Amino acid sequence: MIRVIFFKEIKELLRDRRTMMAMMVIPILVFPLLLGVIMTMTKNFEESQASEVLKIGVVGDLANAFIPKIQAIPEDAGPKMIIPFQPENIEEVKRLIRNDSLNIVIVLSTVTDTYSLQRMEVFFQGTNLGSQNRVKTYLAILEEIGRKDKLAEFGLTPEQITPFEVEYINVSTNEEMIGKIAGGFLPYIFIIFGFIGCMYPAIDLFTGEKERKTLETLLTAPVSRWKILVGKMMVVVTSGLLAAVFAIIGLFLAMEVFELVEDPELRGVIKNILNPVFIASLLLLLIPLTLFFAGIMIPITVGAQSFKEAQSVLTPINFLVILPAIIGLLPGIELNYITAFIPIVNVVLSTKELIAGSLDLVLVGISFATTVFFAALSVLVSYKRFGSEKNIVG
Amino acid sequence: MILLDNVSKTFELSAKQRKERNTKDRELPVVNKVSFQCQPGRVFSLLGPNGAGKTTTLRMIATILKPSAGKIEIGGVDAIKQPLQALKKIGFLTGSAGLYERLTPEELIHYFADLYGVDKEVAIKRKLELYDMLEVHPFKNKRIGKLSTGMKQKVSIIRTMIHDPEVVVFDEPTSGLDVITAENIIRLIRNCKESGKTVIFSSHIMSEVDLLCDDLAIIHQGSLIFNGTMQAFRDDMQASNLTEEFIRIVEHAKS
Repeated sequence: MIRVIFFKEIKELLRDRRTMMAMMVIPILVFPLLLGVIMTMTKNFEESQASEVLKIGVVGDLANAFIPKIQAIPEDAGPKMIIPFQPENIEEVKRLIRNDSLNIVIVLSTVTDTYSLQRMEVFFQGTNLGSQNRVKTYLAILEEIGRKDKLAEFGLTPEQITPFEVEYINVSTNEEMIGKIAGGFLPYIFIIFGFIGCMYPAIDLFTGEKERKTLETLLTAPVSRWKILVGKMMVVVTSGLLAAVFAIIGLFLAMEVFELVEDPELRGVIKNILNPVFIASLLLLLIPLTLFFAGIMIPITVGAQSFKEAQSVLTPINFLVILPAIIGLLPGIELNYITAFIPIVNVVLSTKELIAGSLDLVLVGISFATTVFFAALSVLVSYKRFGSEKNIVG
Repeated sequence: MILLDNVSKTFELSAKQRKERNTKDRELPVVNKVSFQCQPGRVFSLLGPNGAGKTTTLRMIATILKPSAGKIEIGGVDAIKQPLQALKKIGFLTGSAGLYERLTPEELIHYFADLYGVDKEVAIKRKLELYDMLEVHPFKNKRIGKLSTGMKQKVSIIRTMIHDPEVVVFDEPTSGLDVITAENIIRLIRNCKESGKTVIFSSHIMSEVDLLCDDLAIIHQGSLIFNGTMQAFRDDMQASNLTEEFIRIVEHAKS
């Protein structure tokens, strides 16, 4: 009987545009859109910055000697234009930069002899990241040339003036490093979609059935209420899991079909995520979690009198899910014997560990058991509420 | 047969409901010690003004609500102790009942046949008979949401009868329907009676009651104020017509 109810509800759900949007369309589009927008914006920014002609003003007694050095910087470091410039005071320098007449002004201090350090002040707009980075590149090139000239003047090699050479060896794999970053973000996306995927079916299958006056008809069929509840709950959980699966499919499409990620290390990490073991482990963690979500939502949707009422109560609950998910994202929050007992946070942290490849099976086991416990508790509450006459007849 | 013995129902009022009703009482008695019997092959009508307790009584018969006190038997089965066994014997149709609008009549009928545990072949045979009788074939594969009220009512009838119930419960079945659609219900009630089923229906339309019923109970403020045959009701009538007699009895009960 549970099977009959489950398949009928699934059939109806697949014909509901709102649920299909929340369960399939939005999750499948989120990664291609998100990555597409980020990558396009980054690329456009880099291209526009690279092609932008940087307007540079040089001020000081040594300006005439310094300008040819800047002009000698190769064009592939970015196009530039030196503007002859004699400001009356510093305020004028600032004003010209603020109104974009100049992007950068280099103020050179006077040096008394060859051995004195050439000091320079560089004025720029902190809001214009491109010009800031570009001038750093130019000055790094000039610094390198200047250093070589001075070493040649004294007849020295770079090794002779270098006190020690450092090589940093990172024992973390790239997978671990990027996994720590991506591992916080990805589970959050899967959990949110698990929640959203549960939300519409929970409203439709309980409040909707009451609002459309079909619940009374269903209850006159010789089927136990717990079987009806289980059949419907399975649909809610399936929808939540499918939303998460479609988000994974979306990630796969973004990577393999649209090739939106160009960074080879990030590509490597995401490719590692998209393996059957990871997906199976993620789903295993998400099953009790979506059941827990369903168990939170059903008592609310059973009691609500209209779709609108259910939606207005469930929407703020979104934040109750987002909050622990965000806590799990914070740096320094690790899966331990405390966090493993906090629902939602434990799943975020377990998934994070899973992506980073540093899994502690005992802690993940505790996380899983805790989620199962809370899921069972919420199912019990759902059963009590669904069985209540007040919630059936309104 | 349907048997109700001293059946009562009391609803608990929430704080919001108490405020709305301007009362401090935590409980609201809706049905009070109601007893009657509905016999096979006869049509029993439960008559009463709005809010009298008709729907609550029928919902208790259909096991949707549990009585606070008393006993209900459906075809010899204790409906309180064995609700699922009792439900197998009942077909329940209400005027306000909705249908799954994203399904087709064909899908809906098979769904309910499965819920009632009707054998596949039997369900198909019975479904086709009912399709022929109610002329459902032309729209059997259209989504229910796209059907007219009359078409939906025909689907509801088939849904109610697909398991060939021994007892049929109609809660204001013609409420809000046009004359032609209501005629389908009246024909169905007659067919049920002719085939020996026990029929109970609630109404507040006296002409409908006069047309169909053999036995009658009038309920007012949760208590029965008349219980007897339609013939006895007519014989004892003091007003000039049935509607006026019904009003007279209710007014008398109020005073």
